[in-house]
Amino acid sequence: MIQAAAALLLLAGMYFWSRPQAQTQELEFGMFTGSNWGVENADAFVIIDRAIERFEESHPGVTVRYTSGIEKKDYSEWCAKRLLEGEMPDVFMVLDTDFNQYCSLGILQELNTFMELDPEFQSEEIFQTAMDIGKGMEEIQYALPYEVVPTMLFVNKTLLRQEGIEMPQQDWIWDDFLEICRKVTKDTDGDGRIDQFGTYNYSWQDAMYTSGGSAFDNEKQNVDFSNQYVIESVKFMKELLALNQGENVTQEDFDAGKVAFMPLTFAEYRTYKTYPYKIKKYSNFQWDCTTFPGRTHGENISKVDALLIGINHDSTEKELAWEFLKELVCGYESQLDIFRYSQGVSVLESVARSEKAASIIQEDMDKEEQVISGELLCDVIEHGTITPKYYQYETYEQMISLANTEITEIFEKNKNIESSMKIFQREIRKYLNQ
Amino acid sequence: MKRKAMSIIKLLFFLINMVQAGGISLFIYMTTKKICEDDQARVFLGQVDAIPKYPEMIVWSALLLIALLGCDMLIRETRKEQSGKIIAITLGIDLVCSIVLVWILDFNYNGVILLVFANILVFVNDTKIKYLLIGIATLGYLVADYDLISVSNHLFSVRDYIQYYNETQQQLLFSVYNILGSLNIMIFILYCINIINEQRNTIQEVNEWSRQLQYANDRLKEYNEMTEKMAETRERNRVAREIHDTLGHTLTGVSAGVDACIALVDIDPGQTKKQLEVIAKAVRGGIKDVRSSVSELRADALEHFQLDEAISDMIAEMNSLAGVEVVFHSEVKPFRFSEDEENVVYRIIQEGITNALRHGKATRIQIDARKIDGVLHLTIQDNGCGCKEIKKGFGTKHMKERVAMLGGSIHFSGENGFLIDARIPIRWGEEYD
Repeated sequence: MIQAAAALLLLAGMYFWSRPQAQTQELEFGMFTGSNWGVENADAFVIIDRAIERFEESHPGVTVRYTSGIEKKDYSEWCAKRLLEGEMPDVFMVLDTDFNQYCSLGILQELNTFMELDPEFQSEEIFQTAMDIGKGMEEIQYALPYEVVPTMLFVNKTLLRQEGIEMPQQDWIWDDFLEICRKVTKDTDGDGRIDQFGTYNYSWQDAMYTSGGSAFDNEKQNVDFSNQYVIESVKFMKELLALNQGENVTQEDFDAGKVAFMPLTFAEYRTYKTYPYKIKKYSNFQWDCTTFPGRTHGENISKVDALLIGINHDSTEKELAWEFLKELVCGYESQLDIFRYSQGVSVLESVARSEKAASIIQEDMDKEEQVISGELLCDVIEHGTITPKYYQYETYEQMISLANTEITEIFEKNKNIESSMKIFQREIRKYLNQ
Repeated sequence: MKRKAMSIIKLLFFLINMVQAGGISLFIYMTTKKICEDDQARVFLGQVDAIPKYPEMIVWSALLLIALLGCDMLIRETRKEQSGKIIAITLGIDLVCSIVLVWILDFNYNGVILLVFANILVFVNDTKIKYLLIGIATLGYLVADYDLISVSNHLFSVRDYIQYYNETQQQLLFSVYNILGSLNIMIFILYCINIINEQRNTIQEVNEWSRQLQYANDRLKEYNEMTEKMAETRERNRVAREIHDTLGHTLTGVSAGVDACIALVDIDPGQTKKQLEVIAKAVRGGIKDVRSSVSELRADALEHFQLDEAISDMIAEMNSLAGVEVVFHSEVKPFRFSEDEENVVYRIIQEGITNALRHGKATRIQIDARKIDGVLHLTIQDNGCGCKEIKKGFGTKHMKERVAMLGGSIHFSGENGFLIDARIPIRWGEEYD
């Protein structure tokens, strides 16, 4: 009697353990609706639906489902809930803010083995910068980039033409930048207040990326706000800001065409260059995008972001998940769809450089507008810099926020930059050791 | 009483473990639900090192494993015949279950290891192994500790989940968590003490048994000595009987012969002389008999002759000696038995004749031997005065003893002359041709 009960329990247990295998050949994809880049996007589903359709066609008997309607702002919480309840999708989009967290929690499947064993997968085809974004500690690839977006510099062409200034070259330097800003910064209406400016939103970080170095040392996995690159960047920023003579530049100034330069993501570029958004913003002047000026020639580096997709470490269908991930990341059509339906850039260099992509971008634009060349785009992405992976996202954000406060204070109180940054570095150390 | 206390401790031990393991898994599951309801999942994730992969699965697995452990324990405790194989199997299952349980709960709880080892301890008899197991259990308990293992591995922590709640609730939850942990250890210690006590009791019991055995052994030795003495006495009695049978018989004959001589000497000296020669011969036979008895040998006659010949000799001797008519009639042919049976038959006849002459003053003695249903019926009837009461003389008593030795019976009757009726079961065999 008791033995029978025990055997029954055992059987129940075995059934329980074997249960997850019962749901075969179904993949769940975790995604959010809308753009990752803070711009409007009505075609978010289309791109995934098309990819799923192709995948299901080439993999008979497999279905891919996803939960629709999760907005980007809710996506992190949605993922966290699914994680806590042990119901994480097999393949899912990973936000920048979650990536490091997921790596340390062991949620993401290491992809190196898949990458090495799959002859179809050629990691060289993908932008190295974008691949690096999906890497965790010790060069382990935890996620693959799906869509990449570089930051570029918005140039108000109308303003420059008015001031008789030529469009800057792609390998221009800080001095050129400062010179142009000095030229355009002036009082146009004669009320005694400066109302035309060189830059808006250009930060010490943008300067730092182009300084030839960074506060973040990827090799030593260290942070140093007192090194020469940071100091040079802050000094350059001080010079730039000094031109404004204390006037605060606002979005309105920029929208009114009174500012020459502003950092802009490629996603924003595409959104505001195409219908219907192009009539909403920046419609009263001609504008284009170019590279950031470097401290010296060739250091025209800017930040690159990517939307990552990873595989659930505990997925029961990892092979299939990898196939689907490959379809999204390496599929020619999928990547071309990024140009068709999204605002980012394909992570495949061949696609990004292709004429097809260029023509897709051109399609939505006015005929007279000149599109960013694939070459420039690839160049910017290839040389781009990424946020360091060895700090939790929150820690990184906190450090940047503290640095912003400190640097603003240096400018406001006209403090000595070198000594202030040294003191600040000590504070950062203290903060990190907490 | 002791058994009952032990059972209660076992039950308590099991219940505490059940509450702990089940409680932890349920708590994690419910807290997960609460976190999700509160939309705090992302914030919570930022505060932990690891999370359980499948909270719901953990609850079911934990409950299943606890149930398995319970069933196992029940099977072990309730079985009347405690076969070593079943115990070993159930203990093995227990061990596996506990390891899996600790593992799926990410080492947040390891008390079940103590429970299992406590159970193993009860069924291990070797003291050395027992202490070794206690050592292993303690070590396992220490090594399977969350704080130790979480140093090198990402493990989810109940503490993280407790810290999700507000201060007051946290205090309460931590108290419950810690108290249960401490209780578990306390019960384990109690359990061990009880086992050691039980073992000590067993040792005392064994000592008591050993003492009793020693006593019984001593008693047995005494009995043995007594038996030896009794055997000696019996032997002495036998010799006395032998002397009485042989010497008494001879002397009776001699006495009767001498009486005849006294009466005859004046009438016929020649006849007297002959008579005396016969008496001398009888005396010499008697002397030989005595010698035989002393050297524990058979009656002289039987040493040299067959039983019927010896009886015939004896009767002829009596007839010529005492002036009585002794008739021997046997339906059993050949009149031969085993040595001991022959001895008894011979002695009964000898004694019967002696008694008839000595006490009954008989002139005619009739001896009959018949075989009825495998039993030898031997009757000796004389025409003497008999006796109203059968005196307990040496003769009858010895006859009774002898017959009894062969499993037979003997009756005496003194109403019409004297009758001896002996029934001797004979082992009839081929050896007597």
